[in-house]
Amino acid sequence: MIKQPFSSLLISAALAGSLLVSTPGTLYAADKVIKIGALFPMSGPGSYFGAQDKQGIELAIEQINKTGINGYKLEVQFEDSSCSPLPATQAAKRLLEQYKPNVVIGEECSDATLAIMPLMEQAKIPFLNAGSSSIKVTEPGNPWTFRIMPNEVMQGVDIATNAYKKLNARTAVLLYENTNAGIGNAKVFSDTFTKLGGKILADIGFGRDVNDFTSIATRIAGVGKVDVIPTYTLEGQGLKITQALAQAGVTKGGGGQSIQLGTIWLPFGFEQKAGKASLGYVRIVQFDPTDKREIVRGFGQAFKAKYNQDPTHINAHAYDQIILIADVVRRGAKDAQSIRDGLAATKAFSGVTGSVEFDKTNQNIKMDTIHYMETLPDLSWKALGWN
Amino acid sequence: MLTVLLQQGINGIVVGSLYVLVALGLTLIYGVLVQINFAHADIVTLGAFAAYFFTHAFGGSYLASIGIALVVGGALGWLINAAIFAPLRDRGSELLPLIATIGVSIMLQNAMLAWFGPIPYAFDTPYSEHVIRIGSTFFTVQSVLIIIVSTTTIGLLYAFMKFTFLGKALRAVSQDRETAGLMGINPNYLIMLTFVIASALAGMGGALLGPVLVMTPFAGTSVIVKAFAIVIIGGFGNVEGTIIAGLLVGLIESYTTQFLDPGLIDIVVFALLLLMLAVRPTGLIAEKREENV
Repeated sequence: MIKQPFSSLLISAALAGSLLVSTPGTLYAADKVIKIGALFPMSGPGSYFGAQDKQGIELAIEQINKTGINGYKLEVQFEDSSCSPLPATQAAKRLLEQYKPNVVIGEECSDATLAIMPLMEQAKIPFLNAGSSSIKVTEPGNPWTFRIMPNEVMQGVDIATNAYKKLNARTAVLLYENTNAGIGNAKVFSDTFTKLGGKILADIGFGRDVNDFTSIATRIAGVGKVDVIPTYTLEGQGLKITQALAQAGVTKGGGGQSIQLGTIWLPFGFEQKAGKASLGYVRIVQFDPTDKREIVRGFGQAFKAKYNQDPTHINAHAYDQIILIADVVRRGAKDAQSIRDGLAATKAFSGVTGSVEFDKTNQNIKMDTIHYMETLPDLSWKALGWN
Repeated sequence: MLTVLLQQGINGIVVGSLYVLVALGLTLIYGVLVQINFAHADIVTLGAFAAYFFTHAFGGSYLASIGIALVVGGALGWLINAAIFAPLRDRGSELLPLIATIGVSIMLQNAMLAWFGPIPYAFDTPYSEHVIRIGSTFFTVQSVLIIIVSTTTIGLLYAFMKFTFLGKALRAVSQDRETAGLMGINPNYLIMLTFVIASALAGMGGALLGPVLVMTPFAGTSVIVKAFAIVIIGGFGNVEGTIIAGLLVGLIESYTTQFLDPGLIDIVVFALLLLMLAVRPTGLIAEKREENV
């Protein structure tokens, strides 16, 4: 038997004791804790979402836990749901069985969110979503799922209407990834645009494994005069599409006339990566960094101080998920059922992305979370102020 | 219509050339070792990142970065073979090295995720934004570079295999490893050489693919599935068949995009693969296994 000095035994015992009472976020046994499960893509093509979500969440938790809310502290556990149904289901089961959260937030990708929803409903755990746009998330309505992001119908109708009325677009080519969100968003745009009198010249869906978009850009170059190209895809493919369209001389960035229309899915900094190909790109974002509200300025400053970078809309909507939960706890919620009820009763909550008020399907009905931006020649943004 | 056909033909040949570069390494390893290397995709990705950091972090020229990626790929191939695959082969199991390639692949992907992060990189070169327009057709200088480098590499590889002593020795090992050993050829040395050449090709392919790919730690995975299909369509272990199949798949992709739907690309390519397996399982260039590589 190896003899151990008594002093080292004492140190070991003290360390073991401290491990028993401490949890992430320097919580102590005396603290009451709201356990938040976080399902985000940490691997695969959507992992840029997860990395940015984590930053926003950790900042919010840090700020809230400085004082706590009604004697509660917030604690979060992340699981990798990979932006895809199967890993999302596995991660959700792991979270429910092992962590036993009071509330779950996530995912970004609609297919993954739709896969998680039945598990949360079965476990009666409120599930708060900020990044999935598929209408199926809130239609016909799930008592346990809430969404603060505008759904694909709200986004699609708004983009198509503004394309027709503000940009005077009469022809469009649809470009979208073959996922629930991609197909759904493109369909809503198509329905609204054609109802207004516009014409869809081509409807092009593609898999997430497509890398080279030169062939697609060639096809678009051959369909005639295209006014707008609504594009529904993740950042990586979005970059390649924008560059290929410019190389083919289709969009303004390549000397053409077409305007690419983008979605909330793309992060800030997209224009800098795409370069001059993104000139004239009009897209919606969920967070306006030029917003003068105190909460936005405070968030921007705190984010910059913590991470030495400006926040993106993904950082922002992740931050909003946490401060909305904190708001519900402040109103008296303390377990899964009361958090669900508190979320449903939310009225005029003001977050950094905009305001939140849920309808009977638990969809946020406020449209001030949609902000239109246009890319200028120096790759900066001009807020178009359409909403 | 003729312009569209020509333009999509150019697009298909460019993409096909990239597929050939990736698939050649796979087919070389299979030809010599009768082994599938699942980590090949990740060496492609590492080659792309090596070229990216050489140009963006150290200010090196893009052309030099292709050479750097080739060296990084070759060195990685040597290291992986020496540290993992060779010891497992020595145990006499065919299955262990195969499983190890999957392990190495997952390990490399996660190491890259930790080092480079999940956010896609924009790998712009001086050649990718420079567009040449002739009539109604267009192509980037990067596309021209891809075709030149691919053609030169294929030519050099062909000459190496056909006319050099090492190339002939490699073919001997692929035909009969034991007999080649009895003739004084060191099979282990030549297996190592195969891994180095195949990985160097993958690294170089990565440098050329970087500006085309959605560059994340998982970038190579999206290409490797097609590369496997190309190797099977061309005839496992057959270099000439791989070249023809690679260009064919590139052309199928661009014409499917134009005349059908890009969402159908995988269906068309893999339907061709199944057809080949059913009708001509030896691949496009049907040779006896002994004559491959």
